Amino acid sequence: MNLFSFLYRCTRIAVSAGLLLSVASGTASAQTQPPDPNPGAFTFTTGVDAPSVYFFRGIRQEVNPKLTLFPYGDGGIALFSGDGPLKSASINFGVWNSLHGGSTGSKGPSRQVHYEEDFYSTFTLGFAKGMSLGTTYTAYTYPNQGAAPVKEMSFKIAQANKIAPYGIVAFELSGQADAGANKGSYLELGVAPSWPLVGAVTLAVPVKVGMSLKDYYEVGGVDNKFGFFDVGGLVTVPLSSVASKFGSWNIHGGVDYLRLGDGSLALGLGTNGKKNQAVVIGGIGMTY
Amino acid sequence: MTAFILRSTRFGIRVLFAVMLLVGITAGAAAQTTDPNPGAITLTTGIDIPSVYYFRGIRQEADPKLTMWPYGDVGIALFSGKGGLKSASVNFGVWNSLHTGSTGSAGPSKQLHYEEDFYSTLTLGFTGLNFGITYTAYTYPNQGAAPVKEVSFKAASTSKYAPYGLIAIETSGQADAGLNKGTYLELGAGPSWPLGGGKATFAVPVKVGMSLKDYYETAGGDNKFGFFDLGGLVTVPLSGIPSSYGSWNVHFGADYLRLGDGAVAIGLGTGGKKNQGVVMGGIGLVY
Repeated sequence: MNLFSFLYRCTRIAVSAGLLLSVASGTASAQTQPPDPNPGAFTFTTGVDAPSVYFFRGIRQEVNPKLTLFPYGDGGIALFSGDGPLKSASINFGVWNSLHGGSTGSKGPSRQVHYEEDFYSTFTLGFAKGMSLGTTYTAYTYPNQGAAPVKEMSFKIAQANKIAPYGIVAFELSGQADAGANKGSYLELGVAPSWPLVGAVTLAVPVKVGMSLKDYYEVGGVDNKFGFFDVGGLVTVPLSSVASKFGSWNIHGGVDYLRLGDGSLALGLGTNGKKNQAVVIGGIGMTY
Repeated sequence: MTAFILRSTRFGIRVLFAVMLLVGITAGAAAQTTDPNPGAITLTTGIDIPSVYYFRGIRQEADPKLTMWPYGDVGIALFSGKGGLKSASVNFGVWNSLHTGSTGSAGPSKQLHYEEDFYSTLTLGFTGLNFGITYTAYTYPNQGAAPVKEVSFKAASTSKYAPYGLIAIETSGQADAGLNKGTYLELGAGPSWPLGGGKATFAVPVKVGMSLKDYYETAGGDNKFGFFDLGGLVTVPLSGIPSSYGSWNVHFGADYLRLGDGAVAIGLGTGGKKNQGVVMGGIGLVY
């Protein structure tokens, strides 16, 4: 279970949605605003990403990757909006998948492409100054039995500003990402600043560091505190030619540099002892 | 893989009923409330709880306990016109069967997630008739069965009795775990009536499933008759929920199944009984 994907997912969906909203609002203000196709309380986000290799929280998931696809879907429900100290409340339900054509998928022992499927639900409270607190329950499952299931509760504090800093604390309730002896606790700190490029195109630079608070990167009974460092670049291009009644579509592409810790290096598949790793990713997304 | 009959019921009829009935029931209210989603994308989701899971007449569990069917479907309206072709749409969806009984968390794998189906449907609408082509991948995350891939074709009338016909062709794997890939035929109808002055709806789905070729294989060969299913389904819209959250409903019903020799032999825990019953309840949302 490579956390990288999860981070990828969290960061990319959030960044893409955020950028699209800001880009769309800027564009809309300058032009004739099309009718909102979905003024209700539900928001639907979906897409598919294709990374060169799948890392989960710095732990590489495949020795010999070929085509890897991350299709996902998320339904968000706006429960509350107000002007008091609590600005908003929302709940999201979603599913995220990792389909592998390589050694942990259709070329592996099971011969089945469906490596990972994660089900999650998040309850988010929004406060003043763009602050938000999210509580997420995630069930990481492995349909092709490539790994053992993990259930996790996590808490995320984020601020919706230019730098978009955030912190995540995650607690394993059952199963373990490191397949170690003890359930682990994980900490992630990151930012995701972004800038407009040409037209509506946006560049984001997500930076994050993942650490074990307790037993998250266990190797031979020893907990390794430093998990990984990741700095990326992500270009998002809204597909403005798609009619607004079909939602807001985008294509995006990026690259990430990862510096792995001793634990994630040892736990990962196919790292070959190299602490410096890279991922290239491209995809298409939609928010409705 | 028993679920398809009920899945078929659930998706092909239950969801369709729910959508049609909710649209009909809420049409009056539509004049007063704002459409929360006038765009081209429709989301349908929900969860059903059956007493036992049958797929096209094949019982999937010897000792069922709690069984849950969470599902989600995204529909995209691609085209609408007044010519010969009235509409075109594509749907993507996922349907799950979670079991705490002998094919789930109390089974060999100890894992809840028995079945997950991914599908995509292209539907063309004509005057009074819809024609759909569906590709479905039936997968079994807890390895309780082997994957099956299938292409199916469905023609359905939009009339009061909603008759339909479906032909499904297995392209890999087999629902009967037999020697040869099978071809399946289902014929059915789904008449419905308003209850309580339009506050609820009563539907009576009826269907028969048959093997066109090798769909219900047993040691004795291919069994042509699969099953007959007659159900009753009451759907009650939850009108107290604001329209900004979509159209919610609760529904419950019962099905009587008469199984063929093949379905009796292939199914788990049938006890040799051709007469079977299923009770089901659930909650659904269309947005």
